[in-house]
Amino acid sequence: MIIRFLQRHREASVALIIVFLFAILGLVDHSYLSFDTVLLVYGNSLILFVLAIGATMVMATHGLDVSVGSIMGLAAVVAGLLMNSGWGIPASIGVALLVGLLCGLFNGALVSWLKVSAIVATLGTLGLYRGFVHLLSGGSWIEGLPEGFKALTKAGSLGLSPVAWLVLVLLIVAHLGLRYTAFGRSMFAVGDNREGARLIGIRVNEVQIVAYGLNGLLAALAGVIFASQIGFIPNTAGTGMEMRAIASSVLGGVSLLGGTGTVLGAALGAYFMTSIDSILVLLRLEAYWNDIIAGAILLVVLITDGKIREAVDRLLRYQKYRKFIDPQAAGQNGEAAKAATRPLKTALDTSEARK
Amino acid sequence: MKLHPALKRWESVLALLLIAEILLFGAINPVFLQPSMLLYATSDFIHVGITALALTLVIITGGIDLSLGSVMGLSAITLGILWVGGVDIWVAAVAALGVGTLGGIFNAVAIHLSKVNPLVITLGTGFLFGGAALVLSGLAGATGYEGISNFDPAFVNLANLEVLGLPLPFALFLALTVGFMALLHRTRFGRYVYLIGQNPRAAAYAGTPVFRTLVVAYALTSLMAALSGLILASYFGSARSDFGTTALMPAITAVVLGGTSIYGGSGTILGTALAALLVGYLQTGLQLVGVSSHVSSALSGGLLVIVVALRSLSEMGRVWFQHRRVLRNVAAAE
Amino acid sequence: MAGTSPSDQPPPLVEARQIWKFFGSIAVLRGVDLTLRPGEVHALLGGNGAGKSTLMKMIAGLHRVDRGELLVCGEDASAMTPVIARQAGIHLVPQEPMLFPSLSVEENVLMHVPGNRKELRARLETMISEIGAGMTLSTQAGQLEVADQQMVEILRGLIRDARILILDEPTSALTPREVGKLFERIRALTAQGVGIFFISHKLGEIREIADIVSILRDGQVVLAGPPKSFTDAEIVAAMTHVEGKDGFTLGRVAAPAERGPERLRVEGLAGEGFADVTFSLHSGEILGLAGVVGSGRTELAETIYGIRPAARGRIFVDGKPLSGHGPRQSLDAGVVYLPEDRQVSGLFVNAPLVWNASALVLHRGQEWLPLARERADFSEQVKLLGIVCANADQPVRTLSGGNQQKVLLAKCLAAGPRVLILDEPTRGVDVAVRADIYRLIDRLAGEGLAILLISSDHEEVERLSHRVLVMNHGYPGGLLEGSDITINAIARLSFGVGAKMDAAQ
Repeated sequence: MIIRFLQRHREASVALIIVFLFAILGLVDHSYLSFDTVLLVYGNSLILFVLAIGATMVMATHGLDVSVGSIMGLAAVVAGLLMNSGWGIPASIGVALLVGLLCGLFNGALVSWLKVSAIVATLGTLGLYRGFVHLLSGGSWIEGLPEGFKALTKAGSLGLSPVAWLVLVLLIVAHLGLRYTAFGRSMFAVGDNREGARLIGIRVNEVQIVAYGLNGLLAALAGVIFASQIGFIPNTAGTGMEMRAIASSVLGGVSLLGGTGTVLGAALGAYFMTSIDSILVLLRLEAYWNDIIAGAILLVVLITDGKIREAVDRLLRYQKYRKFIDPQAAGQNGEAAKAATRPLKTALDTSEARK
Repeated sequence: MKLHPALKRWESVLALLLIAEILLFGAINPVFLQPSMLLYATSDFIHVGITALALTLVIITGGIDLSLGSVMGLSAITLGILWVGGVDIWVAAVAALGVGTLGGIFNAVAIHLSKVNPLVITLGTGFLFGGAALVLSGLAGATGYEGISNFDPAFVNLANLEVLGLPLPFALFLALTVGFMALLHRTRFGRYVYLIGQNPRAAAYAGTPVFRTLVVAYALTSLMAALSGLILASYFGSARSDFGTTALMPAITAVVLGGTSIYGGSGTILGTALAALLVGYLQTGLQLVGVSSHVSSALSGGLLVIVVALRSLSEMGRVWFQHRRVLRNVAAAE
Repeated sequence: MAGTSPSDQPPPLVEARQIWKFFGSIAVLRGVDLTLRPGEVHALLGGNGAGKSTLMKMIAGLHRVDRGELLVCGEDASAMTPVIARQAGIHLVPQEPMLFPSLSVEENVLMHVPGNRKELRARLETMISEIGAGMTLSTQAGQLEVADQQMVEILRGLIRDARILILDEPTSALTPREVGKLFERIRALTAQGVGIFFISHKLGEIREIADIVSILRDGQVVLAGPPKSFTDAEIVAAMTHVEGKDGFTLGRVAAPAERGPERLRVEGLAGEGFADVTFSLHSGEILGLAGVVGSGRTELAETIYGIRPAARGRIFVDGKPLSGHGPRQSLDAGVVYLPEDRQVSGLFVNAPLVWNASALVLHRGQEWLPLARERADFSEQVKLLGIVCANADQPVRTLSGGNQQKVLLAKCLAAGPRVLILDEPTRGVDVAVRADIYRLIDRLAGEGLAILLISSDHEEVERLSHRVLVMNHGYPGGLLEGSDITINAIARLSFGVGAKMDAAQ
């Protein structure tokens, strides 16, 4: 009973695992079990939250975008360069977001219109956008960012920075939007059954391109947040984040095949991934354990997911053919057919007897 | 002018492009044309080529392996740790190769068990293997990017050895190219690789040993990645866990540029080999001209995008033209 | 229609004039004419591949019109897309449900339907109780039985106030009671002026509900008019007659089979899509397996071959039991299966001919490929089967349909079968090659092969088989032997019209 509930509501399972993690932390040192720790992890998760929202949208349409790390870096560099050349903070951020949107739309166009495999297309743009990062930054780090920019991510009211509040609002809006608006639902429809969505009259290409575009926009926002949090912009900003974003979403129940998932689940997955990091630090374990733990958990989740899906498929096949496989369950059809075969069985019998 | 059939093949185009590229860079900077220069420049990028050869097999089956960069690092670190632990360098090298092979088998098994897209599984195992490399190097006290050094000089010298006038890594690459060509085009295993990639359903109906073939393909890829890691360790004289992070993109580019379809079913080893040289010399040439290596390695990403986009466009164009031709024929027949 | 002048009649909802459609270079529709009037139920009948679904998909905007005119409510509709079709009030209920498996029933039906959600939900619930579907709105569509999935598709059409409703085989998974309710709804809709296309292969239902029936065969309409003006025999004949066959291949198989030892025995076999199948097949014998599409024949063959699992029953090959097996074990036991869909399951269309021919026997050879011997073997097969090709390396897809089928046959024969299961061996094959294949099948039987022949072409079944087992909706419908094997008998048992008529004849 509980297992079925957990299976249907992945969000609850992930929440449970997070509580479990914190419990372990609490066992080691009581003082860590405080709201402050929760907030600390939340603050560290902002980037991943934002990336996970985008990943959820793209994956909902049965797509994939592994270039988000590069878009992050590109947006950060653009914002940094503009701010250092005297552009105002809002304008610089605005342009950076626009750049991210364009990058995302380009990805979407490659995948939807040109029908290039999402893997290859975004693996390619991963390199392409990273190349732009190096070109623009000239190989050097960008430093000396305005204080006002860095203050965006300094703790303010109720212990949360302005950006942290923004991300909270974003999470809520995105979750509700994907869950309850027609456009949000159409994204899942496109991923669940592309031809079926076309049949219903959904413009599948446009929906998918918008999903990629929004993902790019969000990746840019993540880049801006990253720059603000760290205070400078290295060339390698964003490297490897795509993997974490996808892992967070998959952990949170977003299906790689499209059709299922919620932003809440992806956010919980992101929170979980970050908490491993933070908890390792608090427990004074070396940070180098992070990757292998995350990778192992992701694989366990993927394999389990796959096995569950296989079992569900088997169940569906069984139901489809139930009247043949399990005659006790046969309804009227079975009876009618059986009646029809009775006179013919004698013909078979006699022909067998004749041999 | 009738073209000889051999000229029409993609490999010929690649060969011509390669020659043109060398001549072009040579014109900008004549140092480029010196034979010793050309040969020793390969040591920079030949590890990508070696890995790409085996990756071709995996991609022809319709799969992909994103963990090969991490396997390179893992194999180098394994070598380092065992060496620091007092193991003979050659034994350590073999162990590193073994670790790589196991990684590949793990990939294939995970893919088979979960029936999940190989892309995401190997993305995860990439994290796993990379994480393992980080842990091992951390435990050995070589913090992440410093690496383990002071190897047996005999090992470090490997990268500089000459075989028949060719640097050892390059000679290895040539030998492996021939070996993989034989494997793919002349053995039953190679035939299975093609059939599985072209039509997995028909392959199943024909009783093809799909799982067994995939295990070997993925194991070979990881083995080559591990070998590449060792070559890098010898070349740099140290073992770092981040060997190979910049190798994945160029490796895939080499395979796709070499004519292999990302959807599987077609491709040649020779094409991959030529494309690997093409992409590799592009990096070398650009560096010689003064472009930073970061930018040039990122350019291979752009190259990949252009190649697949053009392929897609030309395929759509072909279908459209064929459709028009059919309609015109029908109209003419009336 | 007699007595009403054209100006009295309302303008037709859909008018198709000389519609052509090509897939690649193959013509699926060759000049189809069709009209749908408001308040009319227009039934479409025809064999598999006749083009019915393709035509309907074109009206719904999923396929482009290649040639000809398509008018919807008098307006040109050759650039139809699903979006425009929706605006025009066209809704297609597909043959195979195209639902969103991860979404709920409610979401599936109401997806992309404009209007207030609460009102729509209320309407939907009313509709469900009226139809007697009895399903809950929150169930995930992927977990529904096929019958319920089809019902969800139908609900989608009903809730959208479609003006033109296309139902593609809507009753294939419904119980008679549900069919009755559906027909009530259809009558209610036609009373409101809705036009309905009804694709089916159940003659009884068509007679009950349709005003007009059009019979498609090989991409053209061969018969059209009110159902009551045709007899069952005429309809069946129109659907199954294949042109250009007379003379070449007709003529009953010559002598009764010299039955050798039993090769294949199936007892009470049940699996995915069939049950209660029992028969035995002897060396030198050809057993025809007839029935309409969906009668479970291919599933039966795939179960014997090991692609699908058997649920009950037993299989014996040469007296030895065969179970829990896959294709490799079947091949080793001497059972070879020639798949129905040669392009999808049988051939590697982009691979060279010689690769296809040797695909089943690679595992018997050595690791280092004997390329020269492969080519030599292939040359022999070319001579044996009369395959028309330029060289052994050309990809299969460059061959004509008939020659592709010959390559598939060569592939199967190379494995040295003792039991050969042929699934639609002459589908998409031209007349001359068809004759070749018939001769080959005769000869193979003469040489001692046991052959199970699955075919939807009743003339073919009559021509080749020593015995015929007819399947009906997954169950054995009847067994015919010797002179009992006639096209009419086969057709009647296939359509479930009744074996009684035979006795009356």
